[in-house]
Amino acid sequence: MKQSAAEILREYGPFPGVERVHGVSFDGNNVWFASGEKLNAFDPENGQALRSIDVAAHAGTAYDGQHFFQLANERIQKIDPDTGQVLATIPAPGGGGDSGLTWAEGTLWVGQYRERKIHQIDPETGTILRTIESNRFVTGVTWVDGELWHATWEGDQSDLRRVDPQSGKVLEKLDMPAGMGVSGLESDGGDRLYCGSTSAGVVRAVRRPR
Amino acid sequence: MDSLITAAALALAGGDPLGALDRVALREDPPALALRGIAMAQLGDLDRAKALLRRAARGFGPKEAVARARCVVAEAEIALVSRDLGWPAKALDAARTTLEKHGDRLNAAHAGHLKVRRLLLIGRLDEAEDVLAGLDPMPLPPASRAAHELAVAGIAMRRLKTKPARRALEWARHAARRAGIPGLVAEVESAFLALDTPAARLIAGGGQRPLLLEDVEALLASPAMVVDTFRYVVRQQQTTVSLATRPVLFALARALAEAWPGDVSRATLIAQAFGGRHADESHRARLRVEIGRLRAELRGLADIGATSQGFALSPRLARGVMVLARPIEERHATVLAFLADGESWATSALALALGTGQRSVQRALEQLGEAGKVQSFGHGRARRWMTPPVAGFTTTLLLPAPLPSG
Repeated sequence: MKQSAAEILREYGPFPGVERVHGVSFDGNNVWFASGEKLNAFDPENGQALRSIDVAAHAGTAYDGQHFFQLANERIQKIDPDTGQVLATIPAPGGGGDSGLTWAEGTLWVGQYRERKIHQIDPETGTILRTIESNRFVTGVTWVDGELWHATWEGDQSDLRRVDPQSGKVLEKLDMPAGMGVSGLESDGGDRLYCGSTSAGVVRAVRRPR
Repeated sequence: MDSLITAAALALAGGDPLGALDRVALREDPPALALRGIAMAQLGDLDRAKALLRRAARGFGPKEAVARARCVVAEAEIALVSRDLGWPAKALDAARTTLEKHGDRLNAAHAGHLKVRRLLLIGRLDEAEDVLAGLDPMPLPPASRAAHELAVAGIAMRRLKTKPARRALEWARHAARRAGIPGLVAEVESAFLALDTPAARLIAGGGQRPLLLEDVEALLASPAMVVDTFRYVVRQQQTTVSLATRPVLFALARALAEAWPGDVSRATLIAQAFGGRHADESHRARLRVEIGRLRAELRGLADIGATSQGFALSPRLARGVMVLARPIEERHATVLAFLADGESWATSALALALGTGQRSVQRALEQLGEAGKVQSFGHGRARRWMTPPVAGFTTTLLLPAPLPSG
């Protein structure tokens, strides 16, 4: 396993009215994050806040190219990005103990925080297809280039780790500075991982090692 | 944090404890227990709240020291508000240190204020002042700021410093309104009321009038000689003669001061000091002895001259003599006089100071307690008595934020 310190490239925010970030997503151009009662977008080039959608947004966020998937209470909502309308809901696999959410190849991956688990589920029904185990509390989850990454947050220590999607074995670990907790996690498809802060209304960009 | 914990915390922060409970009612993991505990506290079920917070604190893992510390702080606040002063103050200190070490300054400050409020409640003014001085109120959110300023005002009022007290209360009022917590606003207003309600009575030159706290402060700073029935002392500015353990001498001093510049007849002095209706020769002899003793005590402040009728006071430097009395004279005034210092007293210490038996002191304290004029904490030999704090002690729960912040 490779282990190194996370290299923080940039910090976005704090954004007004945002106390902390619960989930992060990327629609190809803009970064979106969940702040409790809203989904908010900003431009990662200049950090400018763009628009927001009024929708319950209590934990992880994902984007499938057409819709947002958003954890709220004990459900996953499917949201139309243009109208903000909730099109459908499915039960979350952790029954509300869920934290991170990401989309990959037709399925959703959901982090179950204190259970230290990641579930792969059917986005239509919520049926659990597979479960892998971590040895830390799981917050954000993301896929990039065939790599599964998840963020951990336990006490005041967080790291980002690349794990084997079959066995859950840790392949690589980036340690966040003490006190910098990571809630949501999302890759931009390139060499950046966006990390939501557990304690402030900011999103941090961390370099993805190659 | 996970989805339902976030949703429940948002509901709590929005003043909806029932909405918060709704989301985590069936969950037994530590964050859910902590949220349920805080919601129950807000709903007034303090016993259940305490039990839930205790379970939450036990459940958090070794890496979750901050979360555990927040539970300890919440439990301490509930104990304080329910006047259960037996809880371990050391646990609160340890929690405060943990929160500070991990950069949770807000909750650390909250823990600090709880410590101040506890010290104030048990009558340890100096220590309360010390802890308060180490807390910076500037970065605090409005509710904590209001609690801070109330504590500042409470200490200042105890110390008879009315200007700083008023200033602190103005800040507290401003902060409480910004916090939008009605209970807190009401507490600030009742503290203001205490400043604007007569705290004492001035008896001088045959007349009397009510005094506000700031009048008392001005009087004690004036060059007048004051017979202070709150503390059983005779004072003139910096010079203080305590007659707290000499009730006969104090009664004589008071009678002479009330009549000043006139004199007081022997018969009146005997009646007031010894309680005898008829002055016989033995009483007269005893009066001479006691006047001699009082003369010796007051040597630096005043002389006591014999007149054809009896005796008269003649202050050495002071231009006036006044008596500072309670708004309403009451029974057990001597017990109250000792407690007026704002410190906490054991029954045995009071009995010793008063020169009476513990039983009679105990009876007096119980009667005063029923009238709400004194309060006690602790049990058995550890029991302590004091007068209720004038202000500075919020009874509104301002529980710590259960989720990470700042």
